[in-house]
Amino acid sequence: MIQFFHVSKRYPGGQAALDDVTFHLPRGQFVFLTGASGAGKTTLLRMIFRDEVPNAGQILVNGRNVASIPPSKIPYLRRTIGVVFQDFRLIARKTVFENVAYLPRILGVDLPGQKKLAYLALRRVGLAHRLNAFPPELSGGEQQRVAIARALINEPDILIADEPTGNLDPDLSREILRLFLEVNLRGTTVILATHDRETIQRVGRRVLTLDHGRLTSDQELVGTDPPVLDPLAGAAEAPAPEIPGAAETPAEETGAEPSSAATPPEDAAP
Amino acid sequence: MSFLQALRYFFREAAVNLLRGWKVSLLAVLTIAVSLFIGGAFLLVSGNLASSVERWRGEMRLVIYLRPDTAEADLRRLAAEAARGPGVTSVEPVTAAAARKRFQEIFPGLSDLVAGWQEEPLPASLELGLDPRTAAAGSPARAAWVDGWRKRPEVTLVDDDREWLGQLETVVAVVRAVGLALVGGLLGAAIFTIASVIRLTAYLHHEEIGIMRLVGATEFFIRGPFYAEGLLQGLIGGGVAGGALFGLYAALHARPRGSLFSSVLALDFLSPQQVAFLVLLGAAAGLFGAVASLRREEL
Repeated sequence: MIQFFHVSKRYPGGQAALDDVTFHLPRGQFVFLTGASGAGKTTLLRMIFRDEVPNAGQILVNGRNVASIPPSKIPYLRRTIGVVFQDFRLIARKTVFENVAYLPRILGVDLPGQKKLAYLALRRVGLAHRLNAFPPELSGGEQQRVAIARALINEPDILIADEPTGNLDPDLSREILRLFLEVNLRGTTVILATHDRETIQRVGRRVLTLDHGRLTSDQELVGTDPPVLDPLAGAAEAPAPEIPGAAETPAEETGAEPSSAATPPEDAAP
Repeated sequence: MSFLQALRYFFREAAVNLLRGWKVSLLAVLTIAVSLFIGGAFLLVSGNLASSVERWRGEMRLVIYLRPDTAEADLRRLAAEAARGPGVTSVEPVTAAAARKRFQEIFPGLSDLVAGWQEEPLPASLELGLDPRTAAAGSPARAAWVDGWRKRPEVTLVDDDREWLGQLETVVAVVRAVGLALVGGLLGAAIFTIASVIRLTAYLHHEEIGIMRLVGATEFFIRGPFYAEGLLQGLIGGGVAGGALFGLYAALHARPRGSLFSSVLALDFLSPQQVAFLVLLGAAAGLFGAVASLRREEL
């Protein structure tokens, strides 16, 4: 689904934002991307939807080399990827419906069709009743759920979230994380960037750690409190966590490319 | 999304933007309206002057004034000779007595001025009707023929309408050139204003543009509403200019034809094609301003 092959990115006059990063995310995986501020998380995410291009290396998304996609074709890549940001990025003067229905509108879906799709997406995040509200009328958690609905409206293959809970309190963060897990259960590959180690420890899943642009760790964690965040389980039924720490797993098991095999496949689309 | 759907979306969004930022939009519309109004006024003046010249050219004459002592037989001989000239369609020999009589008929209040003289005060003349096409051509042969008359001893003066009509044509050309230069400059200013307004609108929408790019909108889809906005501003500006010009024309037309200006300007309004040209010029300027303002790195 997503493959990085020795990807490096260096901004003019600055240090490397990414340095020789190689990994492979299979379809349907839920991955945390973590690291301190400035570690390169956002740069890495932006490269997946071709908002940035690497100086070196290759990035394949669904077998397609994203750096070689002509500018006129970039929108078609982005229609398969949903993106959620920390600051929600909602337009205050537009209703929730208008904010969510950007993509159907772009695709020429008629108004009833747009409303239906927006309603379905908002129902997934529990906000179908706020279709006509304006973002300033919503709480932070609700605004982020609207942003998630916007990202999900086209049933994307990949959902990218850059610090989606950074502006939210712990309860709302948990609510949002539950949504991402639910989306993942439906088959969408989810990449969630966060520097919140506590959440990662609780949830578990695969974790990629960046440090000064380098991928320093690729491990599979077992969550300490998975049922609390499991969308299929009620919080009240959550048993006490028994696994205290994280368990490293070999790269082969996580889908990471071993360094010897870290080359683009021959049949990679240009 | 089909092209028609996209156009509908572009113009709907553009109309919303125009209404939302009506103050800056008004500035852009007025700038283009003023430019096109001035351009249209020059077009109106020069067009009417040109049609006046055309009309006068149809009545163009060449008058050869002869010495006062020219005998009637000489007058007839010279008339016969003049009739063979290039482009001459008619010759009317006017004796000195006939000239005096005509003066007294035209200016009865001044008839005393030419009465009671021992000799005829006004010269005899030959009034030549000219074929407008031949006369307008201004061939060297015709000029030589007119010069030939000027050099003859029995001739005191040759008054060629073509000369002052030629000067008037120069005035028309100057009016057109000045108008063109002025309109060029003003349109440049209008395009700059529209470009600035569109850039401001794009800046105000940069967040939305970012989201549209993020969800997979094409550049055409993102820029379309801004192009439509420039086009609409230009169209409205052109329409306002056309309306104001017609108002000016109607006001002048309603007044008595006292001055040369009002009589020349109020002859005919611009043709529908010229009005359409003005409006389309406004639309083109608006579209150009929008396109120029939305270079990739600025959006």
